[in-house]
Amino acid sequence: MTDSSVQPSASRGIFSIQSLRARIILLLLALLLLVQGAGFVVIRGAINEHARRSVGEELTVGGRIFTRLAEQNAGKLALGARVLASDYGFRTAVASDDVETIASALQNHGERIGATIARFYTADRRLKGSNAGETGGADWMIDARRVDELIGRAGREGWAGGEALIESRLYQLVVVPVKAPVMIGWVVMGFAVDRSLANDMRALSRLDLTFIAEGTGERQVLASSLPPRTAAALLAAGALPRAGSAGEKHIDGEDFGVLVVGQTGTGQLPVSAVLQRSISEAVAPFAQLQLTLITLTVAGLLVSLIGSLFTARRITRPILELTRGAQRFGAGEYDQPVAVDGDREIGDLARAFNHMREGISEREGQIRRLAYWDTLTGLPNRDQFLEKLGQAIAAGANEPCAVLMLDLDRFKHVNDVLGHTFGDALLRELARRLESVLLRRSDSVARLGGDEFAVLLPGQDVAQARPIAERLKHALEMPMQVEGQAIDMSAGIGVAAYPEHADNAALLLSRVEVAMYAAKQRQAGVLVYDASIDRKSQDTLSMLSELRRAVENDELVLYFQPKLALADGTVTGVETLVRWVHPKRGFVPPGDFIPFAEQTGFITDITRWVMDKSVQQAARWQVEGIDLSIAVNLSTRDLMDLELPERFAVMLACNAVEASRFCLEITESAIMDDPQRALSTLDRLHAMGFRLSIDDFGTGYSSLAYLKRLPVDELKIDRSFVSGVETDRDDAVIVRSTIDLGHNMGLKVVAEGIENEAIWHHLRQAGCDVGQGYFMSKPIPATQLAEWMANWRPPVADELANRPAPALYAVN
Amino acid sequence: MKLRGVAWRAIVGLLIAATFQGAMAAALTVTVAGRGGAVLEDAAVYLEPLDAKAPGLKARAVEIEQKDRRFSQMVTVVQAGQAVQFPNRDNVRHHVYSLSQAKLFELKLYMGVPANPVVFDKPGSIVVGCNIHDKMVAYIHVVDTPWFGKSDAAGRVRIDGMPDGRYRLKVWHYGLANLDAPADQVINIKGDAGSSAVQLDLRPGIQ
Repeated sequence: MTDSSVQPSASRGIFSIQSLRARIILLLLALLLLVQGAGFVVIRGAINEHARRSVGEELTVGGRIFTRLAEQNAGKLALGARVLASDYGFRTAVASDDVETIASALQNHGERIGATIARFYTADRRLKGSNAGETGGADWMIDARRVDELIGRAGREGWAGGEALIESRLYQLVVVPVKAPVMIGWVVMGFAVDRSLANDMRALSRLDLTFIAEGTGERQVLASSLPPRTAAALLAAGALPRAGSAGEKHIDGEDFGVLVVGQTGTGQLPVSAVLQRSISEAVAPFAQLQLTLITLTVAGLLVSLIGSLFTARRITRPILELTRGAQRFGAGEYDQPVAVDGDREIGDLARAFNHMREGISEREGQIRRLAYWDTLTGLPNRDQFLEKLGQAIAAGANEPCAVLMLDLDRFKHVNDVLGHTFGDALLRELARRLESVLLRRSDSVARLGGDEFAVLLPGQDVAQARPIAERLKHALEMPMQVEGQAIDMSAGIGVAAYPEHADNAALLLSRVEVAMYAAKQRQAGVLVYDASIDRKSQDTLSMLSELRRAVENDELVLYFQPKLALADGTVTGVETLVRWVHPKRGFVPPGDFIPFAEQTGFITDITRWVMDKSVQQAARWQVEGIDLSIAVNLSTRDLMDLELPERFAVMLACNAVEASRFCLEITESAIMDDPQRALSTLDRLHAMGFRLSIDDFGTGYSSLAYLKRLPVDELKIDRSFVSGVETDRDDAVIVRSTIDLGHNMGLKVVAEGIENEAIWHHLRQAGCDVGQGYFMSKPIPATQLAEWMANWRPPVADELANRPAPALYAVN
Repeated sequence: MKLRGVAWRAIVGLLIAATFQGAMAAALTVTVAGRGGAVLEDAAVYLEPLDAKAPGLKARAVEIEQKDRRFSQMVTVVQAGQAVQFPNRDNVRHHVYSLSQAKLFELKLYMGVPANPVVFDKPGSIVVGCNIHDKMVAYIHVVDTPWFGKSDAAGRVRIDGMPDGRYRLKVWHYGLANLDAPADQVINIKGDAGSSAVQLDLRPGIQ
């Protein structure tokens, strides 16, 4: 039970701690990730921007490099051409018009500098020889105009360089004069501008170079360092930026920075030299940097994770430890302190926890002592006894287990007469004796409360328990020496056993209690439980609950019996009597439930009900102008109730009724049970204005000394004397003496039980003040009272006076 | 001015009639100018007799000196068969050569005066250069007549000693578009009073 209630909260506690840890870690990681991410984005942006800018710069520089490269190529070509042109042998061959030699020299020199084209033109611009063999062959398709133009320029400037398109191939040409020493012809040399030049460019500058023919015809790629596919894509990418300005193109799924360099020299060939720089390639080195950055980020995250794990652990572990400690305390385990070796806050908390643990442990010990031990005798109390009993039953499933219960006779009286200190000493002596009787270690004695003791005899059945009970009884009956006084005690002992009489501890205890009360009632000493005893107590229980229901449901009815002044027959008041109309059983005689109610204490509830109704009735009569005194019966229990006067006062106040309208009737025995207390209550009631009457006077052992001190107003002679007043001489004497006694003490005297007219007259003559009885009226409901009063005719005194009363003094 | 269409593009304007001196030697003064009218120095002007055979060579010493990495004169006019010395007065060697059809020769790296002079036995124009120094250029115009001269700074040249008669007047200049095609015209020379002015069509870039 304890476990199941603690467990869920424990798991919740641990879960929440874990989530605290998770939150700490998450927060740290999220912050770090945010910072790193932001840094990454910023750096990435910067890298991109930087890469693009550097691509632009590279292209610009590349443009210059290209120009220079082209110039160098042209220079190299020109140099080669010049070497040829100034070669004496070549010139000799030219001079001697030795075509074969000319061609051979052209071929030789062309190879020397790697020129694709090497030609000789005469001064009048006729082609005279070529490295390609046959003079003026079919592959001599150089645009004559282009050559003419170049030669013209060479004539003016000493040499000329430029490009030419030949059969869809691009060539860089130079023209130098052949002098001997005046100009005798022209050497034209040319490199094919092909992939190797583009590759040179790429090797030099990391830039790709593409030559595109832009002529009127179809645009085409002449040469490129790009893969053919990409070069074709560049061609397809549409118009290129203006020559000299850089731009960007998305080519073949990649971003390229592009710069159109244009052509060197003055040639107006429709050819674009285009430089490309792959931006992704330019970014690539930075990608490595970014990779490093990511690696650093991941490493940082890992370090942070470990760090935050460690931190979170440092924070949550003591909390977890404290939580576990608290759970242990909650489960009642105080022996182990919380082991938290933190300093500062956590340490303080742990110390406070341990301090609390000690405090709780100590107080729980005290509570346990109070809860399970009787402080007076040092014996186990009822709770512990019940627990032990339960354990004994549970431990030996098939073993019997007997219980004895005993209650001292007249202990209350002893207590009252000899004082509580004496009573306590007596109880301690009793406890000692009980323990001394027990032979076995497993047997145990407990004080259940007051003078009620119980003995547990595990493993013993009724037959075995009975002799022990007898021994106990014997031990108890030995005279006791307490505080120097010898005292005889007796007790009723009940015996019951598991499993014979009950299958659980609580029922067994109630059964043995029933047996004990029966034993006391019958003065039987030792009595073993029997179902027949219990049936009676069952009835009692059901009666009690029915009575309670009756009060709640107004099944009780208030009846009134008129009280009349015997002198003139006038009605002076009424006595209220309670009647019970049971919904099933019908009319229940007062004798069937009033004594029971008095026994069980329920009478106080009834009294309250009666008083309440009576006050309400009084209020109604007050309104109707009916001036009747109302008498209400109080029981012993009522007198013991210290709050009774207050309660009555509230009732009166609520209904605006004077206390003087009421007469409270108390039996002699009620007063004599606890005269001190009764007297105190009666004094207070009297002070409030209630009139008090001693009921059933003469039946108890009333001490006249007490009577004298009571603040009573009237005596009520018991009906047992009144009914016999005409036939029994003793009764007549008692009645007359009582009347005299009452009058002499200044009290009004009331007679109840007037059953005929003779008694009426007798009492009237004896001087009795007030009477009530069936002769006048039986108790009737309030509704019938008015009618009765209207019809009531008191008996005529004269008739009676003249009538002989032979029975009055008859001897029998 | 009178224009004459000839196979080669020379235009000769004849202004004044020649002065005859009977059987006595006659003389002719010719002024050479370019198309623009500027006078031309170093133009070879010579007369080839149409009516008689030209007299043979009268040998004489002709030198084309190399000094300060230059040829001593730009143009040298000689009669066919004339031997020409190429003394090197510089302290560096020269390699004088000609690849012209009229005379192919080569004086390989030498100092001082070569052992043998070069004999120019065929009429025509020869360009002489130095294989070491590209800038060194000299022209030798070989004519087939003893009556020749070279225009002075004023573009004038006087030729004398020839008998009256019909002559072909030829004017050559290294600036001609075709060095093998001197301007020519037929003139009658009589006496000493003759003078002639010739305008030459030159390559662009030559004065």
